[in-house]
Amino acid sequence: MQLLSTTEVARADRRAKGRRASSKFISQSLMHVVLLAISFLALAPFIWSIFASFKPFKELVSSQDLLPHTWTLNSYREIFTRAHFLDAAQNSLIAAVSVTIATLLTSSAVGYVFAKYRFWGKDLLFTILLSTLMVPFSVILIPLYIRIADIGLANSLGGIIITGLWSTFGIFMMRQFMETIPFDLLDAARIDGASEWRIFFGIVIPLATAPLAALGVFTFLGNWDSYLWPLVVLNSPEKQTIPLILAGLRSLYWTRYDMWAAGSMLTVVPVLIIYAFASKWFIRGIAMTGIKG
Amino acid sequence: MDKSGLKPTKLRAGALDQQKQPRALPQRIGWKVSLRKTLRKPQFWFGATILLPTAIWYWVFSFQPILTAFWIASVRFKLLAPASSPFVGLDNFRDLFANPLFMVAVSNTLYWAVLAFCLMLPISMIVSLCLANVARGRRIYQFIVFIPVVISLVAISLLFRMLMDPDVGQFNHLLNSFGIPSFGWLSDSATALPTAVVIGVWKGIGFYVIVLTAGMLNIPTELQDAARVDGANEWQRFWKITLPLLSHTLVLVTVLLIIGSLQEFTLPQLLRSSSANQSLYMLNILIYEEAFQNLHFGIATAAALLQFVFILLISLLQIKLIRPKWSY
Repeated sequence: MQLLSTTEVARADRRAKGRRASSKFISQSLMHVVLLAISFLALAPFIWSIFASFKPFKELVSSQDLLPHTWTLNSYREIFTRAHFLDAAQNSLIAAVSVTIATLLTSSAVGYVFAKYRFWGKDLLFTILLSTLMVPFSVILIPLYIRIADIGLANSLGGIIITGLWSTFGIFMMRQFMETIPFDLLDAARIDGASEWRIFFGIVIPLATAPLAALGVFTFLGNWDSYLWPLVVLNSPEKQTIPLILAGLRSLYWTRYDMWAAGSMLTVVPVLIIYAFASKWFIRGIAMTGIKG
Repeated sequence: MDKSGLKPTKLRAGALDQQKQPRALPQRIGWKVSLRKTLRKPQFWFGATILLPTAIWYWVFSFQPILTAFWIASVRFKLLAPASSPFVGLDNFRDLFANPLFMVAVSNTLYWAVLAFCLMLPISMIVSLCLANVARGRRIYQFIVFIPVVISLVAISLLFRMLMDPDVGQFNHLLNSFGIPSFGWLSDSATALPTAVVIGVWKGIGFYVIVLTAGMLNIPTELQDAARVDGANEWQRFWKITLPLLSHTLVLVTVLLIIGSLQEFTLPQLLRSSSANQSLYMLNILIYEEAFQNLHFGIATAAALLQFVFILLISLLQIKLIRPKWSY
């Protein structure tokens, strides 16, 4: 009797476990189905466009097949020769790299001073800085353009770079991180006779590589992709950045979908390569904004 | 002279002024001594070298332009002689309201915000629920879902314009192959705005999914386990634990989404076509065209200031809402 009841209990237990395992299996598979569907939707347009960029124009507008019947580099050749794509890539790179380097330097320095120094009016100053985040860009679009024109930087990359030297979001993000650096560490370095510059570049910056990497990729991509401000500042074709050249294809070559596909791919691929290497920083950086709010 | 004799060593700096205001003397010496002390600190020089250029840049490229915006909105701006622009009070706002396109832009922008909210929030909730609970492959799914977020918006607009071409686009090819008649997509004024919002959701959803997933994974597992022990099923656990504890993140996501939608420019501007009339005419497009095509700087800035007030109200609402009444 005793023996029988234990086996019965064991059997019932096993059955319950099996039921739980199978319902778990079903819910897990269901979740994978949803996620696979979303992943497919996220990737499908790119996969189609990559192949589209290698199709001849006539095939692109008539065929429904994914793979090209005749492979050609003609659309890439045309985007380079007709649309000044190389100049645009150079301009984009110069603007995005200089703004990124400047932002990393200024954000970490200002963030460090706001996190680790005590001075009169610090909190008020920081609140005023942060309040600029609430002002939409459209408000300062015209005054900023007038200012840029006044100092002779209209229609030049300098006008893009100079307005990107400091970043309020970057300062906020770096200050959040710098607050976690212990005071004792900095004081120990001071006692050892390190100068403030030495402490900043030798101790603080190496500790901050993770948030700096995240901020770096955000800033670079934001500038690589930036459209409205360059549209206002840069007028002559040889000064324009990639997004402007690409958008210009709409009116200049409004039926040349092969050129559209090639230009888009040339814009997208460098970003995808950066993303493939830095996705960890991206996702961690974005997730942080949600948690800290 | 005899009063100050108490502290002879610290006197030298204030010696000239002391006869005029002898009472203020000790305070002034204290101020100067502390200033001298401060100037000797290396921290002061480091901080000053960082903050001084920062202050100058912010004044020139941020604060002053914001103040200038209020001035521009209240004058009839003269391009060639800005200093002599006559003050017109609220005339720019009156002209803005009189412009029939303004109401079109406002209603389109609000429609866009509501539609984006209704599409984005449920879909990103479902995807992040899956992501937070899936046992394997979370990282690779996150990687893929986030790809459209990092990709240039201009390239995406061109790709979708191409795919959605009513005559030769791949979408209509696909529909036709299932026997469904062609669809107007972006070229039809009835469908252009919803289509553009769907493209916007497609592009932006990865961001919201990552934020929501992080929020869900941040909820302590003990709470879920306790509820499970008490016999709560998955549905109850979602409504009674996940959703309330996520409300903080949800408010943040909603506010980011709405503020973003109110400032939409690149996507509608690039997806616009003449055949769809003004169905993608957003507030920011109105500001841009008033400013740089019609050269009505005053009217454009007036519209921008209205947008600012609206965004400010939403941000204040968020600050009121986001204070949690509980913690875990």
